Amino acid sequence: MSQTDLGGAAVLLDSDATRPIYVQIAQWLENEILAGNIQPHERIYSQYQLADMFNINPATAAKGLNLLSDEELVYKKRGLGMFVAAHAKEHILSKRKNQTLQQLIRDLVREASNLDVDESELMQMVSQAIQERKDGAV
Amino acid sequence: MNVIECRQLSKVYVRKQALSDLSFSIREHTITGLIGRNGAGKTTLLKLIAGFYRPTSGEVSVFSERPFNSLKVSQNMIYVDDQMALPTTMNLQEILTMTGRFYPFFDRGLADRLLDYFSIHVRAHHQDLSKGLRSTFNMILGLAARCPLTILDEPTTGMDVAVRKDFYRALLKEYLAHPRTIIISSHLLQELDHMLEDVVLIDQGKLRLHLPIDELKQYAVGIVGHPEQLEPLLAGREVFHQDLVSTSRSLVIVRNDGYIHEAAVRHGLEIVPISAEDICVYMTKQTKGRIDDVFIRSE
Repeated sequence: MSQTDLGGAAVLLDSDATRPIYVQIAQWLENEILAGNIQPHERIYSQYQLADMFNINPATAAKGLNLLSDEELVYKKRGLGMFVAAHAKEHILSKRKNQTLQQLIRDLVREASNLDVDESELMQMVSQAIQERKDGAV
Repeated sequence: MNVIECRQLSKVYVRKQALSDLSFSIREHTITGLIGRNGAGKTTLLKLIAGFYRPTSGEVSVFSERPFNSLKVSQNMIYVDDQMALPTTMNLQEILTMTGRFYPFFDRGLADRLLDYFSIHVRAHHQDLSKGLRSTFNMILGLAARCPLTILDEPTTGMDVAVRKDFYRALLKEYLAHPRTIIISSHLLQELDHMLEDVVLIDQGKLRLHLPIDELKQYAVGIVGHPEQLEPLLAGREVFHQDLVSTSRSLVIVRNDGYIHEAAVRHGLEIVPISAEDICVYMTKQTKGRIDDVFIRSE
């Protein structure tokens, strides 16, 4: 496991956000798995490591880990800790596609309709954003 | 296992009912924030738990004993506040040596490293320290004593922001390395809510809430909209606070029953996040009207 020493500097946590801290912890861990920083069957951070890294109560960190365990993205080995499941990366990808991305698109469509942006104009704006990303402008 | 249990605990001073009928328990190895307004009874409750006061009625037990006059409790508990009566004839070094004799788990090395970090001179006398440094020294005593029950009553009084941050970090580090039961009282929930597992909220001597911090943050939501639009949504719901934010828009703080988000979206209303600290403020409001009302000149 790549041990990034964050020295307790809470780099990601947004304490005013509507998302609870333990949800943010779960999402951070998912991002680490997606980025390949923690490989399948590799041990994931313990609640105490997470507590130290993000300067939070270990019970909060444990709740974040439990979210991953509920979705079977990690499995427990008695006395050894939690390990990344073989299919974790695929599961996270499909979950984000089907839930997060779909929701973002629904929000986008609603806001476009609030602003009287019609379908063709919206599609054009989306294509333009894709092109800009390809060109490295964003 | 519960380290602290209170059953119908009450404390009456000569003219004032300080605590009435408090029942709750605190599990081993948790960090609990005790939150309440000025005069809510936080210090009285902590001193009953510490065994400094005797309850008027009801019961408090700590490590399964009544804390008043209990040697077991005093040896396993440290109470830190800004009025610690430490011997005036001893310097800080001598105070640390004496503390080490009393508390079996006291870590002198940690105390010395922290004193050095905060540049507090070991030959100084406690009463000569500035308010902030005195609090810092008291906190060092509280951490280094490594007591199974550590009670911190407004420990950051007088500390500047940088020291407060260091203090909370040191507390968390110590807790991770040497788990213990910690109660920390404050009226500033915002600066310590990341460290807490549970919150006890008291209001005018009564227990208002005892919840995990994550649940407290979800306990209420703020909704903004036209008062007439808000009305159907609020029917049958617990409203903690209502206020006009502009001539046609109202902010309400309402109990989150799990359906409130959907309902608000359906009514086309805006939801605003409310911090745990603000939820506590709205739930323990005892002033008349708003502060702005004081400044409205009567004609």
